[in-house]
Amino acid sequence: MSDLRIGAVGFGVLLILIALRVPVAVSMLAVGTAGYVSIAGTIALLSYLKTEMYWRFTSPDLSVIPLFLMMGHFAARAGITTALFRAAAAWIGHLRGGLAMAAVGGCAAFGTVSGSSLATAAMMGQVALPELRRYKYAGGFATGTLAAGGTLGILIPPSIVLIIFAIIVEGNIVSLFQAAFIPGLVATAGYMVAIAIVTRLDPTAGPAGPRATMAERWKALRQVWTIGVIFLVVMGGIYSGIFTPTEGAGVGAAATFLAAVTHGGMRMQSFLDALVETASTSAMIFLILLGADVFNAFLGFSRLPLWTADLFQNSGLSPYLVVLGMILLYLALGCVMDSLAMILITIPIFWPIVAALDFGLDADQMKLWFGIITLSVVEIGLITPPVGLNVFVINSLAKDVPMAETFRGVVPFLMSDAVRVTLIVLFPTLSLLLPRLLG
Amino acid sequence: MSNDPGEAVRPTDAVGRLLFGAAKALAVFGGGLCCLMAAMVTVSVSGRYLFSAPIPGDYDLLAILSGCAAFAFLPYCQMTRGNVVVDFFTTNTSPRAKAVLDAVGTLLYLMVAILFAWRLYYGGLELRANAEVLANFNFYRWWTVPFDLVCMAVLIAAIAYTLVRDIDDARSGRPPAQAVVEEV
Repeated sequence: MSDLRIGAVGFGVLLILIALRVPVAVSMLAVGTAGYVSIAGTIALLSYLKTEMYWRFTSPDLSVIPLFLMMGHFAARAGITTALFRAAAAWIGHLRGGLAMAAVGGCAAFGTVSGSSLATAAMMGQVALPELRRYKYAGGFATGTLAAGGTLGILIPPSIVLIIFAIIVEGNIVSLFQAAFIPGLVATAGYMVAIAIVTRLDPTAGPAGPRATMAERWKALRQVWTIGVIFLVVMGGIYSGIFTPTEGAGVGAAATFLAAVTHGGMRMQSFLDALVETASTSAMIFLILLGADVFNAFLGFSRLPLWTADLFQNSGLSPYLVVLGMILLYLALGCVMDSLAMILITIPIFWPIVAALDFGLDADQMKLWFGIITLSVVEIGLITPPVGLNVFVINSLAKDVPMAETFRGVVPFLMSDAVRVTLIVLFPTLSLLLPRLLG
Repeated sequence: MSNDPGEAVRPTDAVGRLLFGAAKALAVFGGGLCCLMAAMVTVSVSGRYLFSAPIPGDYDLLAILSGCAAFAFLPYCQMTRGNVVVDFFTTNTSPRAKAVLDAVGTLLYLMVAILFAWRLYYGGLELRANAEVLANFNFYRWWTVPFDLVCMAVLIAAIAYTLVRDIDDARSGRPPAQAVVEEV
């Protein structure tokens, strides 16, 4: 068998194993090692494996991951979400659909310190759902809003998915964070517009809430100073280059720890829980990264990525058609697969293809633009049936709303997502402006 | 009261309890290392910013700490079945078929983990032979490898334990252990 064919067979076996409930990381490790042996031989594999795991885990690039995760887990215990929702509701809750908009705004603000969608959806859901129901918001509309709003947690930096993307394509994490900021604001605005349209068409879905006095508004806003400070220090420091993402994450973890102890009443048990949650998620990510590393070493030997890149480059297909095809594939995969796994499996094949096509952008700009497209598209998988994890989490908080109704409630937000992804594809400036301005 | 979702799958038999305890202790220890990293970075950054006096070589040390933490996290993830699985295509298969598939996946993981641990041992010897020291510290790189190997040993035991559980489930046709949902 030619190396190329071994690569193709390996890829097929990988997909089959994954479909058969073998953990994604284990599938990649098993196929990767087997493929490595069949192309490079046993001796090469044994020597490669001696230090592979040590160096993969002991890497400054990766130390940022547990730190950002820990920061998110402490932030979730700091009582920040309650204050954020109250503040947003005080300012815009009296509008039609205003409380839903406040929930989306709260999710976006929480997203500036959290890199996780599920945590954002769950935390904001606990605070906002009871309020939305109290003001007679339609069940599916309320849960749909929160499930969609949760994706802002990862669309707005810090974002674990972007860190992983940067590691695979050897891109700059800081630039990618900068690039994601404006598209994150566009997503927030898009969700609010979706809410405005839904409540215009059906005013009973999202009745206006109480109007707060100006004094109450300022008071509510003052309650969120902690998150403002944390955002300014952590993300401000990273964006402006005062410190690296790893340093930002470390300082952020320390700051959210203090906020959780002073504001959130975090005590020993809750602190230990935060550590264990950090452990579980980090382990899952590190193992899948190790798997991706071994699998990609094998794919590299097989020359399959180069071959497919050549194929597409010489196919005469319009570059935008190729990207459209990838987006559609991501949407399909997102229905059944976790976003990290999806990125780790596809990017090593997709990135060389995209990088070889001509979009009038240089290599660094391509990484930013395609990174933001990928991030935006894979996150949609969190709210599409049948496996929309955000929907599951929110639905478990609102037992009286049937799952199907929540999925229906998500539809307006999916339309908003479609518009946003189109804008991001057609106007690379949205992603490239901030990195250019901040240098 | 702990809200750790992993507690829901805490085993009840003696071996399982012991492994779960060991895995959780390692997870908490690794979490402690992460806290140490956060504290170190904060001190280093403020030192640099306020007094132009950062901790020298903190980057290498960070990588070492996060490497140890990552090894320490693996067993708990396995005991709580936190690794990402796609169960979309197998939702409608019988519990027994699911348990058989899970056993296959766990067996693959067991083989891979043993292979990696075996090689890591030799990798550690190589690091010791090279006597590489961290810049700015009198810290030999290989010093952390024994700890990594301990973590791998606990991981292998944890995988073997979950494999036995999977095979039990496959024999009895019990529905497989519910995985803890993890996603970022």
